[in-house]
This record gives sequence, structure tokens and C-alpha cells, in this order.
Amino acid sequence: MSRAKSALGLAIAVGGGAIGVALVGLILHGSGPNASALEATVRGTAHTSQGTLTHAFLKLASYPDSMAGEHGKDGGAHPDWVSYGPSTNLHVPAHALVTVTIDQYDGGEKITNPYFAKVHGTVGNTMTVNGKVRTQSNPDTIGHTFTIHGAPTNQYPLFVSVPLPAVPDDVPVAKGSDYPKPNVVTFSFMTHGKGHYVWNCEYPCGDGYYAKFGGPMSTRGYMSGTVTVG
Amino acid sequence: MSEAIVQHGAVATPHGGGNMRRLNLGTALLGGLVLAAISWFLAHHFLQTDEPKTSNQVTTITMVGWAVGFMIGIGAFNGPWRWMLGHDETHEDETYLAGKGQGVGRYFRFTTDHKVVGIQYLVVTMVLLGIGGTLAMLIRTDLIRPNSEFLGPQTYNAVVGLHGLCMILATIIMITGPFGNFIVPIMIGARDMAFPRLNALSLWLLVSMLPILVSAAFLGGIPTGWSGYAPLADQGPPGMNAYLIAIIIFAMSSAIAGANITTTILTMRARGMTWNRTPIFVWGVLASVGLAIPAFPMFMTSMIFLGVDRTVDGSFYVASSGGNPWLYANLFWLMGHPEVYVIVLPAVAALMELTPVFARKPLFSYTGAVLAIVGIVGLSMMVWAHHMYASGWAPDLNGPFMLTTEMISVPTGVLFLVVIGTIWRGRIWTTLPMMSTYAMLWNFIIGGVTGIYLSDVPADYDLHGSMFVTAHFHYTLMGAGLTGAIGALAYWFPKMTGRMLNQRAGFVSFWLVQIGFNVTFMGLFTVGLAGQPRRIEHYDSLFAVGNFVSTMGAYVIGVGMLILLYAVVSSWRHGAVAPANPWGGKTLEWTVPNPIPLENFEVMPVVIADPYGYGEGDPSSVHTEKERREALVGASPGSPGDTIGSRVDGDRS
Amino acid sequence: MSESRSTGRPLTRRGFTSDRVYVWLHRPATRHVLLLWAVLTIALVFFAFVPARIMGPPASPTKRAVEDTMTVFSIAAAPVAAVVWSIALYSLIAWRRKGATGPDVEDGPAMRGSRSPATVVWLILSSVLCVLMLIWGLAEIQKVNASATSRDPLIVDVTGQQWVWTFSYPQEGNIESDQLYMPVNRPVVFYVHSEDVIHSFWVVQLGIKVDANPGETTKTSVLPDKIGTYDVRCAELCGLLHADMETHAHVVSASNFSGWVTATGGHV
Repeated sequence: MSRAKSALGLAIAVGGGAIGVALVGLILHGSGPNASALEATVRGTAHTSQGTLTHAFLKLASYPDSMAGEHGKDGGAHPDWVSYGPSTNLHVPAHALVTVTIDQYDGGEKITNPYFAKVHGTVGNTMTVNGKVRTQSNPDTIGHTFTIHGAPTNQYPLFVSVPLPAVPDDVPVAKGSDYPKPNVVTFSFMTHGKGHYVWNCEYPCGDGYYAKFGGPMSTRGYMSGTVTVG
Repeated sequence: MSEAIVQHGAVATPHGGGNMRRLNLGTALLGGLVLAAISWFLAHHFLQTDEPKTSNQVTTITMVGWAVGFMIGIGAFNGPWRWMLGHDETHEDETYLAGKGQGVGRYFRFTTDHKVVGIQYLVVTMVLLGIGGTLAMLIRTDLIRPNSEFLGPQTYNAVVGLHGLCMILATIIMITGPFGNFIVPIMIGARDMAFPRLNALSLWLLVSMLPILVSAAFLGGIPTGWSGYAPLADQGPPGMNAYLIAIIIFAMSSAIAGANITTTILTMRARGMTWNRTPIFVWGVLASVGLAIPAFPMFMTSMIFLGVDRTVDGSFYVASSGGNPWLYANLFWLMGHPEVYVIVLPAVAALMELTPVFARKPLFSYTGAVLAIVGIVGLSMMVWAHHMYASGWAPDLNGPFMLTTEMISVPTGVLFLVVIGTIWRGRIWTTLPMMSTYAMLWNFIIGGVTGIYLSDVPADYDLHGSMFVTAHFHYTLMGAGLTGAIGALAYWFPKMTGRMLNQRAGFVSFWLVQIGFNVTFMGLFTVGLAGQPRRIEHYDSLFAVGNFVSTMGAYVIGVGMLILLYAVVSSWRHGAVAPANPWGGKTLEWTVPNPIPLENFEVMPVVIADPYGYGEGDPSSVHTEKERREALVGASPGSPGDTIGSRVDGDRS
Repeated sequence: MSESRSTGRPLTRRGFTSDRVYVWLHRPATRHVLLLWAVLTIALVFFAFVPARIMGPPASPTKRAVEDTMTVFSIAAAPVAAVVWSIALYSLIAWRRKGATGPDVEDGPAMRGSRSPATVVWLILSSVLCVLMLIWGLAEIQKVNASATSRDPLIVDVTGQQWVWTFSYPQEGNIESDQLYMPVNRPVVFYVHSEDVIHSFWVVQLGIKVDANPGETTKTSVLPDKIGTYDVRCAELCGLLHADMETHAHVVSASNFSGWVTATGGHV
């Protein structure tokens, strides 16, 4: 076999192999949920215990299905899975006060770990539910939780957890909507330096799966997501 | 009977083979797809909608349908069916099944010739290594820097699970599949395996498993790691059902192959091949498949339980319904620890087989090597719970399991002694196979010593589940196992393909792979010691340097492996034609011509000595031990210090 | 040797051995390998201190014992690894065939090694090493257990769930926290369980780890003896956000601990 031919063969093997691996990588890279991040809206500043900080606002909702979130009108692959919306990838500024409003449309039951029926890590360790200030929610009627945490080494150990009270099952569907009137939960927390965190729901709502933590709980784009600070 | 007829030159009539003439990989795929589609339709149509159980049931039924259809399509049931109808295969049918006169087509059929099956196993191994290697590159790419999020946690977990499973399956079959089937029968002087049709069955079961395994990636992946720990496995997506069906099929395949190889070795050795004349590689293969026979049913059982859990709420592993996750862990590791010796023993045995050939010296302490293999086989059944020191299951047993685990270091040490004793004062010919032995000596020492750290209970409490463990078992399974398999491939390539493996490309690949390997896993040792857990998709910046180094090393391995692939493919197609015995080996496979005739031997060989009589003269010229000694004393090998040396006392040098 | 051959009388064991050792030691190859072995052993003994350094400063007797084990085992393994590597290296340098490669060379010495003293020595030494390691390990288990035994340990209930750790303190009025606080120099007993799948509770710098199992409670204990902030990680793949199942462990002074308990709403 000639030298040129063997060089060609070698190039095909190595180059082809590398391209093949890269291709598989790109396909897998693109296969994840690629909904664009939800940017917090900055409106003015706020006076806090940390001094005057940028004040940013986020508006989220939790639904009993996937028809209103980032999966499109038809609900995507699993229309009946519970979901957060409009996006599960959140982007908030560093060194800011972030005020989050969550419209909670879903029902619920008893939470497994009552720790997550309490409010943690928010300003004053409180939230408001439909305008009333609360430090916890009834552990027997939790809809979901919104819990931010993440690998703490070399970044500020952000930990925020807020229970979202369940909408009772007998509440009728609101006019002009597919869902009953939601519980509106607001809370604020302070960000520090830049960091990458995750958030997820700590109420076992992946019904039917072991420990109710499979399906929407274990699939990206439903009941968990990322929080990018900075 | 059939041997005699073939010897006399009988040719298969065009009528031999019957239905099998029309069946091949194409009909198998067709049969698999058709039955899978029918199964899917029926399951989908008739099962209650009760997510997620329905998805699991539909997946399971579809996968089983695929496998059954595939096996019907390849013709696996033709023999038994005809036998049940009362007309067994004729001699012409058997010759057709053995692939006589079919050219390349026989590699795509239910062919019984052990050499064809060996090559098929080699290709399946390379496919699995290719998939697993691709995924390894993606894992390392994801971990190239902190918070890279290249794959995201969901895809990453799926990739890690599939990488692990592909690699484990590939390394389990990589020696006993290709070389155990192709080489061992010739090495022991047999014309084929004991059960040629079972041989083809084991191979095609494995092939039917491949699409099921890959399909897991499209069914939500295997997000549990290859170990599939319950109850996380109870929670996973339908990909877990593909996973468990794949493993059940693999376990059947390996049980069939194990029974077949064991029977072949026990009953079909040539006249005169007593146990103390049986090549050490045969011992290694026997140990491997012999261990697999009790080990894999454990895995199969654990998977059947998992399947019952997932499809009909069996609750074997669900604590809240009376199950116990430790049941899974025990069953898994009852397979899992013997399994690492299923992988490593035949690989090291292959290197022990080829080292005397390239050192031109007898295998040092053959008896010690055999006893060490037997000792490891025995002990390996009694160490499984060292994987569970930190699980909380039976802490009182940690001490006893530490004892059995550390005891394994003694027979393992003997294997090292055998290799360095053989090298000692040898005439070292540094071919690619021989260099694999050297690489094994380097890697396996590191893998072994780090294994001793992990056998220590308090140290394991700290290091268990960290990247340190990942690095440790890659040093054994890849550094010793895969290196041994590459050495074996380079050694037997001339016999299996009739051509020489491109030595230069082989060496370039060897150095890239070995250097890349050590860089990769030294990097992982450091981050593991510093506290990085296994199987995490992103990590904090504390571990940045070690991970970056590791990723660079992994890319070097990748390039090296692609060069090896090039060397294998190009040499196979147009490498230099190999002589019958290019290395001067003394085992029987080097006595048959290239290409090897259908039933290997024209005249059945008779063995009068073991294959390690280097420096001892011609064994056929002496008849008694006394005469042999005298012949040795009379001969004058090289240096004066060795004179009498050879037998009277020099063998103790 | 020659005498015995001429008389045909079997060699006495003693004379036989000392002769053989003499011949063996005076081979250049043996001397070179021994030298190489010594150099490698020394190098590896120096290297034996590296793993403990990478593991970082220990914050408990448990971790200290683990790091000592790494060092001691590395030192014990050094001469063994050096034997294998020095012979391998030397054979590549000295006994490698140069020029005439191929199967048609003169064979090496016919050393069968079936009753070789090397085998016996090797077996004895490796068995002794194995037994020593076992004794070391058992003693280490005792030591580690003893270090954290006390009449008055702090009890912490650890809950693992997908994908967060929570800690509660039954003696301090069941206060709960997402981060782990411990007073220095007081043994801590952890009762660990899981709400869902298997997790593994690992406090890296304290060197302790035990799985969190659903339906079972496992136990581990430690004596934190150095004030600082350490890492709690999950060491068992537990699903989607396994990589993020991490938090801090704070070892603080006794008074700071009381302060934290009171501030969190408990009582000391």
C-alpha cells in the first residue's frame, strides 16, 4: 500500500472519528431544553440591610400541566406534566434585590419534608400569599416549592426556599382562563457575587413515579431549572 | 463422524442448509422490526393508561418482541424446531451452518464455525468500545471546565450510564468473545466448540441486544449510572426498561457462551494436553467464563426484580412497600465484583501467554500462575460487600470483607511475579503485544495499589463514590484489561486475519493511548482525593486543573484509539501477508496454516509437553524427565553462569 | 556445586542456598536491578506523602487516620511496585533484542521457577504485607470509632432528598437547617436517612461518609477538631441535580454554636 494511501486512510480514521464524536456531541448539546433564559426586569433600586441594591423583578407561574410553559401551546412531549413557566432558566443581576412573583395554579397535598413548608432565605424569612405576609404554609396543602440551591464552594451559598400553597381542588376554572384563580406568592431575596445555581421543586409532584420525583421532576424544563447570577 | 467426512473432502450440496439459506442479518432486522411493531401496537392498544407504568410496560413488551423477532429472523430457532418435528440437521446442513464456501456472507448469518463467531465477537466488541469511547469523549468535554453545562444534567447522566454499560459489556466480552472463541479451540486442539449452535446463539443474542441498549438513549436514557442502583432505577424513564432487557439478554448470552467455552475446555483438549500442559490463556478464559456462570444470573435476577418493580409495582426495592434497596446492591455486587475478574483475568492471562513467546523463556512458575488464577476466582466470590462499606448495610461485616479483599492481593501479586519472572533475563522482543505486557505492569500496579487503599474500611468511607474510585477501576479495567485485549489482538491478529498488524501505526497508537490514559486518570486521582464525587455533571472551581488535565488526556486516548482502528482496518484489508507462525509461538494455534481450514486440523494433534519449553530443547526427542534433564545439562546455553543452570539449579535464578 | 555433581550426592539445603545466593548476587543484572529498585523505592516513598497532601488538612481524627493510611499504604507499596517496575525497566534496557528481531533467536534460560525461592519469598512477603495491612485497618477502625465515642454527643438527624440536605437537632429543640453546624471538639452522631432514593452523606474534610437510604436509618459519628467551613456532598448518583446536592458544614466554637442555636430558635 502506498504511503499516500495510508496517510489518507489515517486521516479518514482520525478526522472522521473526531468529526463523528463532535457531531454526536453537538446533537446531544442541542437536544436539551433550549428555551431562552428569563431575564429579571430591573426597575430602580431598593434600600436593604446590604445597602442600596439594584431591584430586579421576576414573574413565574406553576401550572398543573405543560400547556402554558416553555413547551408551547400543545404542551410538547408531555402535555400532562406539571410545569413552571414561562421559562425554567432564570437570569438575575448580581448584588441585587430580586423580587419574585409566582402565580400558583396547581393543587397539592402533604409535603414529605415539612422543612420545605417553611420560608427560608428570603428577606425577613417571609413571603406574601395573596397579599398576606407568611413565614410558612400549611404542610398538608402544599402545591409546589421554589427552592434555589447549588454547589456552594467558591460561590455564595444561595439558599432560598418558598412553599407555594395548593389551590383547593374544588375551585372552579376562572373566566377567560384554563385554570382556577391562582395563589399569588411574592418574596424577595438578595444576590451576592456571580454564580451558577439550580432551583427545583421539593414537593413530590411527579405523580406515579417512584417517590413522585420522576418524570417532570427529573426532566429538565418542567419542575427544575437554573439560576444564573450576574 | 462429521470430521471424517469433511476430511475426505465432502462438499456441501446445494440443498444443505434448508431455510437457513434464506436467513441472514437482513431477515433478522426485518423480523425484529416486524415483531417489535406488532408488540408495540398490541401493548399500546390494550394496556390501561396509567403513566408511567404503561410506558414501561409498552417499552418492555416492544423490546422483547424485537429480540424474539430478531432471533427468529436470524434462524436461531430453526434447529430446535426441526428437531422437534423429528428431522434433525443433516450433515450438509451442518456444513452449511458452519459457513463452508460462503465467503463474507457467513459473517452475517447464524454461522456456527468458531472462527466466524470469534470475528463477529471482535466486531461487536469494537462497536461497543466505539460507542462507549464516543460517550467518554463527551463526558470529558462536559467536564473540561467548571459549570460548562455542555450537556446539561439530564443528558450528562444518560451519557454516563450508557458509557459505563457499553464499556463494561465490551470489556466483559473483549477477550473471551473474540479470542476465547477463535483461538481457544485451536489452542487446545479442537475442531470447533463443544456446542457450535449455542456459540452462534450467544453471539446473535448479543447482537440483538445492541439496538435495545442504544434505544435507551432515546427513551430518556439510563440516568442511574451503569450500576442502575434501585430505587433510583425505579424512578427512571422508560430507558431503564431498555436497560434491564438489554442486561437480561446479555446475561443469557454470557451464560450460554460460558457453558459452551467451559465444556469445550473441559472435554475437548487434544490428546496429551493434561491440565499441567494447558496453556495459561486457556486457564484464564476458563476462569473468566467459569466466574461468569454464577455471577451474571445475579445481575439477571436483579434486573427481573427491577422489571417487576417498574411494570407491575413489584416493590422489591421500594422501602415504603416493604422492599429494600440493599437487596439490589447485594445482587448487583454479587455479580459486580466477580465481574471485574471476569474482565481482568483473561486479559492478564493473554499477556502471560504471549510474554514467554517474546522473552523466549518458559512461563515463570506456571503452577503458581494457575493457583493464583484459581485463588482469585475463589476469593472474588467473597468480596462483594466491599462496595457497600459505606452503604450502612451490615457494618459488622466490613472487617471480614476487608480481610477477603486484602487477601486477593496475594494471588494477584503472584501474577505479577509470573510476568516479571518470565521477563527476567529473557530475550525481549519489543513487539506491540509485548509492550502491552509492560503497560499492564505499570497500570495494574497502580490499579492494584489504589485498590488496597479502597479495601481499607475508613479510607473507603472517605473515598467511596469519589473520582478516586473512578480512576482506580479505570486503571484495572482499562489499564490492565483493555491493554491486555489490545495486546492479545496484536498477538493473534496474524492468525485471525492472515495479515500482520501495521506495527508502526500500532506503536503510535500504543504510546498515545498509554500516555493519554495515565494523564487522564492521574488527573482524576487528584480531584478524587481532593473530594470530587463521581458522576457529577459540573463541579466547583477547586477541581478545575485536574479535570482540565484529565480531559486533555482523554482526547489523546481518543486520537490513539482512532489510530488503532485505522491500523486494524487497513491491516485487515491489505496488510502484509502473515506467515503461519510469525512470533515463533509454541501453542497449537500457530501450527495450523493461514487461512485456517474449516475444522482447523487435518490431523488431530497430540500434545507431549507444555508450550513453554523455551531453552529446553526439542520435547519430542526426550521421553523421561531424567533424559530431559540430561539433555538440558548437556546443552550449552549462552553464558557460563547458566551452564548447569538450566535445570539443576539455574531455574531458580 | 561441582563437588556435589561429581559425587552425585544431593546438595545440602544450606550449602545449596548460599551458593545460589552468591551466584545470584554477583550477576551484574541482579546488582543493576537492585540499584534501580532502591532508587525507585526511595522515589516512591517520597511520593507516598503526596496523596495525603492532596486530600488537604484534616479536620477530624477520622480524616487524619485516613490520610495516615494513604501514606502508610503508599510506603508499604513502594518497594513492591519498585520490584516490578525496576525489573520491567531494566529488561527493556538490558535484555531487549536489538537488531535481530524475529522468532529465530536463541532461547533465554529455561527458568521454570516451579520450586524457586523467589516464589516462596514473594508469597511470604506479600502475605505478611497483607496481614499487616489488615491489622492496620482493624486498628484504624477501632481508633476512628473510639475518637468519636462519648457520653454526650451532639445528635444530628440528616435528611437526604432529591437534591438537598437538611439537618435537624433533636437535643436543641428540633431546630432545622440547610447547613450543618457543629461545635468543635464534641463528638457528633449523625442519623442519616433518605426521603426518596439512595444518597450518600459525605463531609469531605471530616472524612466521614454513609449512605442515606429510604426506609432505613444509618449512623456515623465523628469528632470535628478544627474550626472551619467544610463541604457536604452527595456521593451517590441520585438523579438530575446530583451535582448540586451540596452544602456547607461549619465547625464553630462551643459559644458560637450556642449562639447559632439560639438565633435559629432552639435552646441549648
